[in-house]
Amino acid sequence: MMKTGIPTLDDHLHGGVPQGKSLVYYAHPGVECNVFGMQTVHRAVSEGGHGIYVTSSTDPRMIRDQFKEFGWDAAEYGDRFVIVDGFSGLIGADSPEQYVVSNPDDIESLTQSIKQAMEGAYEPSVIVFESLSTIMDLCGEDETLDAIKEWNKYAMLYDHVVVYNFTAWPYSEDTLAHVKGDICNSVILIGGITEKVIFGQYFGVKKIDWDEITKKCVLFKVLKPGGIRVYLPKILVTGPFDAGKSTFVHALSTRAVSVDRLGTTVALDHGHVDHRGFAADIFGTPGQQRFDPIVKLLSGEAMGIFLILDSANTDDFVRARQMLDITETVGLPVVVVANKQDIAGALTPEEIRKELKMTNDIPVMPAVASSREGVFEAFDVMVERVLEANSR
Amino acid sequence: MTTSEMLGKVLSDLGRIGEVEACAIATRDGLLMEANMSTRGDPETFVAMSATMLGAAETATSELEKGIPKRVIVEADDGKLICMGAGPKALVVAMTAPEVGLGLVLVELAKAAEKVEKLLS
Repeated sequence: MMKTGIPTLDDHLHGGVPQGKSLVYYAHPGVECNVFGMQTVHRAVSEGGHGIYVTSSTDPRMIRDQFKEFGWDAAEYGDRFVIVDGFSGLIGADSPEQYVVSNPDDIESLTQSIKQAMEGAYEPSVIVFESLSTIMDLCGEDETLDAIKEWNKYAMLYDHVVVYNFTAWPYSEDTLAHVKGDICNSVILIGGITEKVIFGQYFGVKKIDWDEITKKCVLFKVLKPGGIRVYLPKILVTGPFDAGKSTFVHALSTRAVSVDRLGTTVALDHGHVDHRGFAADIFGTPGQQRFDPIVKLLSGEAMGIFLILDSANTDDFVRARQMLDITETVGLPVVVVANKQDIAGALTPEEIRKELKMTNDIPVMPAVASSREGVFEAFDVMVERVLEANSR
Repeated sequence: MTTSEMLGKVLSDLGRIGEVEACAIATRDGLLMEANMSTRGDPETFVAMSATMLGAAETATSELEKGIPKRVIVEADDGKLICMGAGPKALVVAMTAPEVGLGLVLVELAKAAEKVEKLLS
């Protein structure tokens, strides 16, 4: 199995792409697509594998710069990373690359170079096409479709994995149907959401022929450096006064800001989390009753809620339940964080569950936010819940 | 053109009047939709704070039965910030240099807000 390196996608593919199979990143115009192929080849090479990158619309030097922008240094990969240069020939430039396509607008010439690269690889590799759409524009749609079949067959022979970046410009219906349908072993759809108020980008598995499809679409965001992250645009952190909400937001975040006066949050805490392939924006609400209108304002469109509690302060538990009601987010995943586990008189998570009269399906996670204990465990549970809730 | 691109156009038009240094469109509850702020700061945090500011101002005035404010203007030593509702779902926020007269900016911002409201309805 060859991992794609895209967070959660390898799970959806049941472990990755089997050797000898092909995959298309099928993107709607206007959505970032090339980074998918780049991240996949980076993953393979950084794990000690071999990668071949077929460039068609970008100068190989620029390609290396693009990798660098994500924090991936192609020079470190040495000869395990090879570029098939299908660009320099277009502008008549010299190329220092090992494989250079002499006539990039002639499919035969391209096929020849690709076959050479496939034969020349020491071991099964990942071959990523920077832009299948550019090849179609240069060589023609039908010619390219025929060539893909040939490349895939050849890759199968050598146990290579082939990955195509494809942007669905208005080609003929037939062409799009083939790319989306029968021509490759798996298809990952990459699209944008514009109907709703949130503007986001998502990906999801459209087809795999080696296992069952799990129909899950996840939102993603591209970080520089970093690459693709599964993205949760809004996770709410709420709870009674002095439960440690701001501390929790800061403990979890790579960077965060707070609007607090005299130690009390008066507007909100806002933080970015980047953890194990997941990125999230975290909104912490004020806890005191007089700020309730702000809590209501901030809670719209949240994907999940952390309810933070001071484990020793049972008097505030009624208020905690009340705050959940204020957020008007019935049905969203809730994770209760039993904070301040280190102080005297702290109840255990189970005691807290009983005290709050929470059902068993709501997780209660122990934490000490001030020393970051348990905060990422709580975040992991939240991510799991949110993904589950959105796959239904 | 997608809605996102259309909102982007509204912002680039707004940015074209010289006084506006940065601007953004966000949901009322503080999620970024589009930003045009070059390398200045962190747009997600900027719009989250703007939404809170506008929401807090609206709550404050309506508590006193003075109606909904037309806009919130913040004057700082190094710049001015204007935040304006754009229909029930969205808001527009713009930043200018400190010495700028606000007349033209306010007119253009109101126009932008109206366009955003229509684009999202």
